[in-house]
Amino acid sequence: MIELVVLLIKLFLVFNVIMGLASICTWIERKGSALIQDRIGANRAGAEIPVPQFSAVGLPIWGFIAKPAVAVINLTLRLAFIPLKVLGVLGVINTLVCDAVKAITKEDFVPEGTNKIVHALAPFMAVFPVFLAFAVIPLAPDFTVFDYKIRPVVAEVDAGVLFFLAMGSIAVYGVVFAGWCGNNKFALLGGLRATAQMISYELAMGLSIVAAVVTYGTFDLYEIVEKQNPVWGVFTQPLTALILFIVGMAETKRGPFDLPESESELVAGYFTEYSGMKFLVFWLGEFAEIGLFALIISIMFFGGWHFPGLDSIFEKGTWMAALLGHAILMGKVIFFSVLQIVLRWTLPRFRFDQLMNLGWKILLPISMVNLVIYSTLKLSGF
Amino acid sequence: MTTSLIVFAVCAALAIVSAIGVVASRNPVYSALFLLGNLLTMAVMFAALNAHFLAVAQIIVYAGAIMVLFLFVIMLLNVKTEERASPLLVVIGGLAAVSFGAALLKSYAAIAHVALPAGAVTGSNNGTVKALGLDLFTNYVFPFEVASLLIIAAIVGAVMLSQKLRPHGPDKTLAAQVVKPQEQGVK
Amino acid sequence: MPLPTQDIPIEMLYVGLSAILFSIGAFGFILRRSSILAFMCVELMLNAANLALVGFSQRAQNLDGQIAVFFVMVVAAAEAAVGLAIIISVFRATRSIETSESALLRW
Repeated sequence: MIELVVLLIKLFLVFNVIMGLASICTWIERKGSALIQDRIGANRAGAEIPVPQFSAVGLPIWGFIAKPAVAVINLTLRLAFIPLKVLGVLGVINTLVCDAVKAITKEDFVPEGTNKIVHALAPFMAVFPVFLAFAVIPLAPDFTVFDYKIRPVVAEVDAGVLFFLAMGSIAVYGVVFAGWCGNNKFALLGGLRATAQMISYELAMGLSIVAAVVTYGTFDLYEIVEKQNPVWGVFTQPLTALILFIVGMAETKRGPFDLPESESELVAGYFTEYSGMKFLVFWLGEFAEIGLFALIISIMFFGGWHFPGLDSIFEKGTWMAALLGHAILMGKVIFFSVLQIVLRWTLPRFRFDQLMNLGWKILLPISMVNLVIYSTLKLSGF
Repeated sequence: MTTSLIVFAVCAALAIVSAIGVVASRNPVYSALFLLGNLLTMAVMFAALNAHFLAVAQIIVYAGAIMVLFLFVIMLLNVKTEERASPLLVVIGGLAAVSFGAALLKSYAAIAHVALPAGAVTGSNNGTVKALGLDLFTNYVFPFEVASLLIIAAIVGAVMLSQKLRPHGPDKTLAAQVVKPQEQGVK
Repeated sequence: MPLPTQDIPIEMLYVGLSAILFSIGAFGFILRRSSILAFMCVELMLNAANLALVGFSQRAQNLDGQIAVFFVMVVAAAEAAVGLAIIISVFRATRSIETSESALLRW
């Protein structure tokens, strides 16, 4: 019984983590891209809200009580509205509130001649593997509360890394369906390109993950973090981390690999025919996937919740250590998300044949050689 | 009703419904979607039967690669809905399938209560990656290597079959496509 | 058929389910005239066989069944790739995927 309650709490918290990551990544994308492109970006919504002021005209109160009371109330209102205005100037209200309201209230049209069921199914298939993959990722070290040991993973699966690979394979379906049921050539081209790209880079991802697993000796993501206690994974296998980072950017169709979206070429690529809430769901899935890959890279190669100085502040196994570990992990996740976003707005995009070239002729042989090297090292007792 | 029975009941219902959907739906994309549901249900059943690696491999290989290939071909070839089969074929096919299924079920029912033979190899049936890998790479190394040869043959075959026949090489070289001869330029 | 509460072990229930799925797949294969849909019913039959193998492997507490499933998956993947390439070639030649169109060599 208590396990059910703990599971429900874990589900709720992980769902909040996903939505929080997606929202923060969206905001960083909007404001960060503005700063990179030397413009100000969104800073109007919520910044010039007229602060409601209270006036005691017409109230039957004596003047010498009313005047200072009204002054105090007005000052409090102004102070209370300052955080809102700061958020508005930073563009948070624009991105998180206004865009969401706009997307929800837009008309949701389905193009003529397509399959309505598949059209509605595509955003769901694009998003649900990303959300499911968060289920096997540990978000904090173990801790004990009231003699009850809690591991902050929603599903304690032995083969966590394999499950993550499986979810990467299923994420192709959202793109296939979205591209096909747009019923026009732009969407179809975008969908085909995106599918080919994702499938080609899955090979390099699988091989590099296998190289990492061979070195760590386990599929369990929690054990992988625990094995990185003194030395992070990126120092023992730098090439694997680099390959996984590049492949991660290709899998999320971000960065220099965003030919499927191609905002300047293909209208909007494979989600041309989506508007309103369905478009928002695609967008949410994409930004949640940025957070997912940042999380995977921090957990598998960058130590997870270990940081060389801060490990021994709190005693291991208490909830304060778990909270600190979670904060360290989220710091690394934010770092990698910002890195992905900055890379997207800095590098020009690949041409399609360059992309396929990179995936098949460069990354695949390198990851195979990498696997052979690390298998040899492991067999010789490294 | 134990948990495993409930899991079996739910998975069996989903598997049978999606299998009937594959067979009976008019639109080929719906058939592919039903088959995808069937494959995912199979993965759940594998996990319930203690074959964890096979469950994940089913999702990665079948649901993630083979079904994408099917959907590609259906969408590219623009397969239309087909007409209803003739009732005679339905009856004959139904009889054949039902009789075959009944024969299978009867033979399974006959061995359902048979105890394991005395000399049965009872290794641990933990279908984890480690146990499966140990068995695969020690006892079954030769079929494993032959399987890799089979995959190479399939790759070569698929690439060869899907090439367009160009008896005289590419139509124009890149230079010929891009550079305009001077006679056609501005006078 | 006695109710499967404590008589029949649960792995045999899965094997029985695989027999039902196999017969549904066979029915679909006989019925369908488009080669892609026939191919999908073949995949259904292969999956039913996989389920039977895993069920028996669990019953006998032996890992041989799961290894057989591994190889069946490999063969099914290779067959799917080559089979779909063949279907595409036939489509290019005859612009149709009905199985009755490729009857040139029939008497």
